[in-house]
Amino acid sequence: MMSFVTSMILSLLGSVPPASVPTDGGATFWMPESASAQAPFVDHLFDFINLISYIFLVLITVILVYFAVRYRQKKGQVNFSGDGPVHNTPLELTWTMVPMLLVVAIFYLGMVGFLDLRRSPSNSYEISVTAQKWSWSFDHPEFGVNQSGEVFVPLGRPVQFLMGSADVLHSCFVPAFRVKQDVVPGRYSRLWFEATKPGTYQLYCTEYCGRDHSKMLAMVHVLPEDEFQEAMGKLATEYMDLPEHDLPTYALERLYNRCASCHSLDGSAVVGPSFKGLWQRTEKGETVFTDGQKLSNLVGTGKEFATPEDYIRNSILDPQHLVVQNYTGAMPSFQGQLKERQVTALILMMKYLDRLVDAQGEPILSPDLPELNEGDGSEGSEDDAEQATGTDHSKDNGE
Amino acid sequence: MTTLDTGHHEQPRLAKDNYLTHSSGLLSWLLTLDHKRIGLMYLVSVLGAFFMGGIFALLVRTQLLTPEGTIMGQDEYNQAFTLHGAIMVFLVIIPSVPASLGNFVLPIMLGAKDVAFPRLNLFSYYLWVIGAIFFVLALFTGGLDTGWTFYTPYSTDTNSAMGGVIPALTAVFILGFSSIFTGMNFLTTIHRLRPPGMTWFRMPLFLWSIYATAVIQVLATPVLGITLALLIIERAFGIGIFNPALGGDPVLYQHFFWFYSHPAVYIMILPAMGIISELIAVHSHRHIFGYKFIAWSSIAIAVFSFLVWGHHMFTSGQSALVTVIFSAITFSVAIPSAVKIFNWLATMYKGHISWNTPMLYGMGFLFIFTIGGLTGLHLGTLATDIHLHDTYFVVAHFHYVMMGSALLAFIGGIHHWWPKMTGRMYNENAGRVAWCLVFVGFNVTFLTQFMLGSQGMPRRYATYPADAGFQIYHIISTYGSYVMACGFFLTAIYLVLSLFNGRRAPTNPWGGRSLEWQCSSPPPHDNFSEQPTVGDCYDFTVLEWSEKEQGYVWRSDVPHPGSEADQPTSEGSH
Repeated sequence: MMSFVTSMILSLLGSVPPASVPTDGGATFWMPESASAQAPFVDHLFDFINLISYIFLVLITVILVYFAVRYRQKKGQVNFSGDGPVHNTPLELTWTMVPMLLVVAIFYLGMVGFLDLRRSPSNSYEISVTAQKWSWSFDHPEFGVNQSGEVFVPLGRPVQFLMGSADVLHSCFVPAFRVKQDVVPGRYSRLWFEATKPGTYQLYCTEYCGRDHSKMLAMVHVLPEDEFQEAMGKLATEYMDLPEHDLPTYALERLYNRCASCHSLDGSAVVGPSFKGLWQRTEKGETVFTDGQKLSNLVGTGKEFATPEDYIRNSILDPQHLVVQNYTGAMPSFQGQLKERQVTALILMMKYLDRLVDAQGEPILSPDLPELNEGDGSEGSEDDAEQATGTDHSKDNGE
Repeated sequence: MTTLDTGHHEQPRLAKDNYLTHSSGLLSWLLTLDHKRIGLMYLVSVLGAFFMGGIFALLVRTQLLTPEGTIMGQDEYNQAFTLHGAIMVFLVIIPSVPASLGNFVLPIMLGAKDVAFPRLNLFSYYLWVIGAIFFVLALFTGGLDTGWTFYTPYSTDTNSAMGGVIPALTAVFILGFSSIFTGMNFLTTIHRLRPPGMTWFRMPLFLWSIYATAVIQVLATPVLGITLALLIIERAFGIGIFNPALGGDPVLYQHFFWFYSHPAVYIMILPAMGIISELIAVHSHRHIFGYKFIAWSSIAIAVFSFLVWGHHMFTSGQSALVTVIFSAITFSVAIPSAVKIFNWLATMYKGHISWNTPMLYGMGFLFIFTIGGLTGLHLGTLATDIHLHDTYFVVAHFHYVMMGSALLAFIGGIHHWWPKMTGRMYNENAGRVAWCLVFVGFNVTFLTQFMLGSQGMPRRYATYPADAGFQIYHIISTYGSYVMACGFFLTAIYLVLSLFNGRRAPTNPWGGRSLEWQCSSPPPHDNFSEQPTVGDCYDFTVLEWSEKEQGYVWRSDVPHPGSEADQPTSEGSH
């Protein structure tokens, strides 16, 4: 019975001219522009439910108006005949069973479409999304790129958003893709789509989140694969063109999110030592390692590290070599993930951290940084063309 | 009923002692235990709150005339829609039909002198008043901008939401108890105080729907109370229950909240359906069609209402399996609703339909509730709901159900029982004009919001992108709301005027047969001097129009109920 109904409905779907699905995917009376692989199914189903609704609404309204006119009380009529049935079981069972069969069919189709919306293909291109009052931030781990307020996605490839919230509930909604998913603090949620039309589409927050809820918007730019790769490559190497002066801010905004889960900015010890005051300790050589050595004995001409900067560079690229006392050495190596200039940026960030963030570790809006010259950071700012490949999805610190 | 409007006739005598004149002085009202006076006080209070909620609605609509907003900033807008929603849900719609009309009509329909617990009844009213005061307090303690749903962690984070959250939660907590006590009172009254001859299946359908409502009120509302108490504890003392930063779970709050608030939708719509059953039958002068199907569908809706709360959370991240199950159960609610629509239509078949104001509201309900129900299909269907969730499509859908159906049925019920409550007839032509304004205004306001929502306009937005094509729909919708407001103002004017110069109401102006149409208008303090006997309350063939009374009277050639010749007729004997 079930499969019979389904095939019947599906064949009906095929024969009904889909009012909401023009071939070019443009906006219709009911639906906005359609630009994802999932949209046609949703639109067909919407049209099918509309069709049923129109039929019932017209039927009921016509009967209602006809009865109201046909059986209007006659002027001067003083009493009433008991004409007309007061119940009719076969009729009542009919108008119970027919709607029941219809809603079973609608439910089934809705379920099929929903499971498709929920199940992302395994080869999806993944983007980490962070929602916070009142902005969207997008991380491309594959390219080591962060975008805010807009996001580039490839055309014709499944894309998955892995979403987290930094504060309250939000919800990610792209009408042109017919997808929506709440973003819940304290857990990850996922949303996927496959864009089928290049262009720019509006992304909304659809869960009320406070004052500027209606301004928590972002744009989704769908780019053909080659343009997408090119744009990502450009974003991934943008720091190459930055003046030295901007490197500390760049590191804090774009790189620190990968360190944040272990290294605090406010002095509190987490998995690793806090970045607060780290440069000052390093410069004085106060750091003591698990084997009892003191850093001051390792730095200097002819020793293991020529400068304090060399020690920090080594800690990032080969963290197991020397582990600070009281810590476990859980840090992975960032060799090959960070370019030399990014390492430089991180060292500069540590040097000027007290100008970049306040005592609570919150970013200062326009930090007062000194003029920096090339070579102020570590040596060797030449870069390899190899792309950075971050692997963690830790949340971006935002602006 | 055109004969009602023509000519000046000898006015029927006003009963000397009625419940309005039984005692006088302010205290005789404030301390009254009379269900009729309490019902009237509820009516005035609820309509006052309706006025306030309506003002906020007009502010919201006016703001949205332009993409960048016209009259308010973000904070003011967020407060306006929150207060509109909270006032309309908690202070207006939930108590509207049961507490005002139900209080007045229910004991009389049962032939009883009062409800089972008159003091508890008065206490319920004062709880409502205290709840309303706490809502006002919320405005003066920093405002309220959480939305009427109080979603966590926004509402419990003192850095996020405005300061009025705790007073507002207290208000809803207290209003919940007002609702619970009213429900308990009605359940007991219906169980214990039915007159001889009134078996369960001889009750007027209005009583069936009030009964089903009371069951929900008593079972679901305590869950809301506990949830809000937990919310207060988290916000006031920082004890983590719903806030993930404190180790809580925000989605748990949504489950708790909708476990009450979905059944609450049926607390709103079931009594309205009861009113419609009365209006359609009485004003069509025709036996209700399929009495048992309608009665059972009320119970079925009450039972299903407890099992569908998850459909408010299809995008919340609950598991796919749970989501699919909730979708399936949600569709089951569509069946009893459809059954009622068809039964009401069949009642009009071969009837004698008078086009007076209550019947116009009844017929308007059939049209509006059909749209409200059918658009529920788009939202219950998972694949389409994902797109429509939290957009104006949802806003339009629940306004069709809660405002166009529940509230307009309430207004229709006020017209139906107005002669009984006040002893005065309102101006019928003014009523018809006002209904036209309300009906047209309503549909213009909310039909456009379906397109707005399916085109992607999210809810609770103070501003919107200018290039998304939303503005034209907002403009039409706003003008529709102004037309509707005019209709309501006209209604208020002619109803108030009728108190001063309205024609005296006869005992039975419409030709109803349930017991309230057998005691004078307005009813005496004790309702009935002796317990009345009950017949088939939908058999209108025993009544005839009397020019002298300007109302319906018992036919001279038909024996009265209770006499030897009148044996109870059962359904289907015609």
